Amino acid sequence: MGAVAVYSDADRDALHVRLADEAYPLGAASPRESYLSIEKIGAIARRSGCDAVHPGYGFLSENADFADAVAAAGIAFIGPPGKVQRLLGEKTRARRLAKEAGVPIAEGTSEPLRDVTEARGVAAGVGYPVMLKAAGGGGGKGMRIVRSAAELDAAWRMATGEAAAAFGTPALFLERLIEGARHVEVQLIADQHGSVVWLGERDCSIQRRHQKLIEESPGPAVDDALRATLGGAAVLIARKAGYVNAGTAEFLVDPRGEFFFLEVNTRLQVEHPVTELVTGLDLVALQFRVAAGEKLPFAQDQVRRVGSAMELRLTAEDARAGFVPSTGRIALLRLPAGPGVRVDHALFEGMTVPTEYDPLLAKIIVWGRDRAEALARARRAVRETIVAGLATSLPFHAHALADPDFAEGRYDTGFVAAHWPPADEPELGEDALIAGALGAVLARRANAGRIASDGDGLRPFARAGREDALR
Amino acid sequence: MRYEVAIAGRTLRVDVDASGRFLVDGVAVAAETTETVRGRQWLVRVGGRSHEVTLLTNEPARLSVDGVEVVAAAVDERSIAASRGTRQHASGRHELRAPMPGLLRAVHVKEGDVVERDAPLVTLEAMKMENELRAPARARVVKLSASAGSKVEGGAVLVVLAEVE
Repeated sequence: MGAVAVYSDADRDALHVRLADEAYPLGAASPRESYLSIEKIGAIARRSGCDAVHPGYGFLSENADFADAVAAAGIAFIGPPGKVQRLLGEKTRARRLAKEAGVPIAEGTSEPLRDVTEARGVAAGVGYPVMLKAAGGGGGKGMRIVRSAAELDAAWRMATGEAAAAFGTPALFLERLIEGARHVEVQLIADQHGSVVWLGERDCSIQRRHQKLIEESPGPAVDDALRATLGGAAVLIARKAGYVNAGTAEFLVDPRGEFFFLEVNTRLQVEHPVTELVTGLDLVALQFRVAAGEKLPFAQDQVRRVGSAMELRLTAEDARAGFVPSTGRIALLRLPAGPGVRVDHALFEGMTVPTEYDPLLAKIIVWGRDRAEALARARRAVRETIVAGLATSLPFHAHALADPDFAEGRYDTGFVAAHWPPADEPELGEDALIAGALGAVLARRANAGRIASDGDGLRPFARAGREDALR
Repeated sequence: MRYEVAIAGRTLRVDVDASGRFLVDGVAVAAETTETVRGRQWLVRVGGRSHEVTLLTNEPARLSVDGVEVVAAAVDERSIAASRGTRQHASGRHELRAPMPGLLRAVHVKEGDVVERDAPLVTLEAMKMENELRAPARARVVKLSASAGSKVEGGAVLVVLAEVE
């Protein structure tokens, strides 16, 4: 199968552009003028003779108008059709649909709020803390926890701004905040012939600002009964919506094991490899088959889940500085390898990480026969990984994986706030500390440009000593 | 040459002599170093054990030691001496800097305003998230260095504040 890529000015040298069979420019870096332009992408798909379009995740992947435009051009859209996306994409409508399907939802509004005054009234009724959410879409954009009436104005202002920028509509809704909850989601796939199958769950509770950092399957707090219940609820919602292709139903599970429907992501998710590793399925290939009209090659009772998998989202964010976005040129790159280790990425040495888009750099996904093995592999993978040139989220991942609560699977969506940043720097052994100190001196000298650019390259200290002697 | 190295929460003194030998906190250390990637990565053998040290970023100062990321910076004594001579800001004066590169979405104050602690000053958009930067204390806005709609670099001064009792 040949692949056609599109790229903005910021991604001119990106790996996907180099690897695709054909690649076409979209224009300026700003998403509105490139990756969010239905017109431009549609025109390229037609001109290059594409017979299918995969929207990926982010940008237009949950845009019903895009799905419709692709279909109207006689091109297969690899995802749910526009009408299904409309039904589930507007979050309050999805809440109503879940309720009608008999799936529990958190108390709150089932219509978008008119203004902050209405929000204040509803919040008073539901009781603080509440969650303000964008009606137009998910992914943590336009979402704010509001702990008291005093915080509502500022939260409203920022959430509407973000929602408008991310989804083209400032509409918000509100629901009761479920404290101490886990974020558990169910992967679904449905064909065009009425078959809907759930493939398993992922616990995505390790998140900050509603952006996931670690996802795993099976969920540490999910037993067989809860798994079957969540899977069944996801299927009920999918059937009610006439769902086709891959999707994810997201739930909150409270400390008592009660669950509440959050939303359906009508696309492939960033963390789908976790499910691929435990089921042995290629979800993207299945998406293509379903879009081509094929029947799912398995029934619900034929889905097997083996072992345990976790994904670490490596991002261009300085974890130590509170996850502020970072940028830079990748000076040195080493990614982990070995049995049960997979890395999905588009990095290369010399690449400048753009600031215009999502900070995701790479996904490190590990599999083990059980959770202990997966965890051991994840820890080793983190130590093998080097991304030099910009600050990343990696120290957070190292810290989380070493945490006894995480190791025991005892965590909820409050984990990051409770465990990060750590009180102390990671501990180094005595001679590692000395080696590090010497390395710091060498780095300092290299940085000051005092190490000759030619020379032997092998005895920096000897050279440094000579240079000092000549001063 | 003498260096002061802050690493993983500790401070060590490293002396490099003319023959390339070095002392750590005054004690000669038997170590061998190899530059594995120029200006970026070194293999440091201490007492028969190999350690890989990678310069991750200069700003902020971060190293990877055997795959463990730590805050680490070496300063030579000349620089230490020089920095002692720099003038500190008069207390009570704050420079609000952009914590990251981004787009200044909105400026909520004007020069001369007196703002309360935690009052929103500017809204900075970076990587599609809006961040409200707030006043660290009750203060007067002395200077606005950027206007709404402008792109700002990480570390750029956005607002200068003078603390007000």
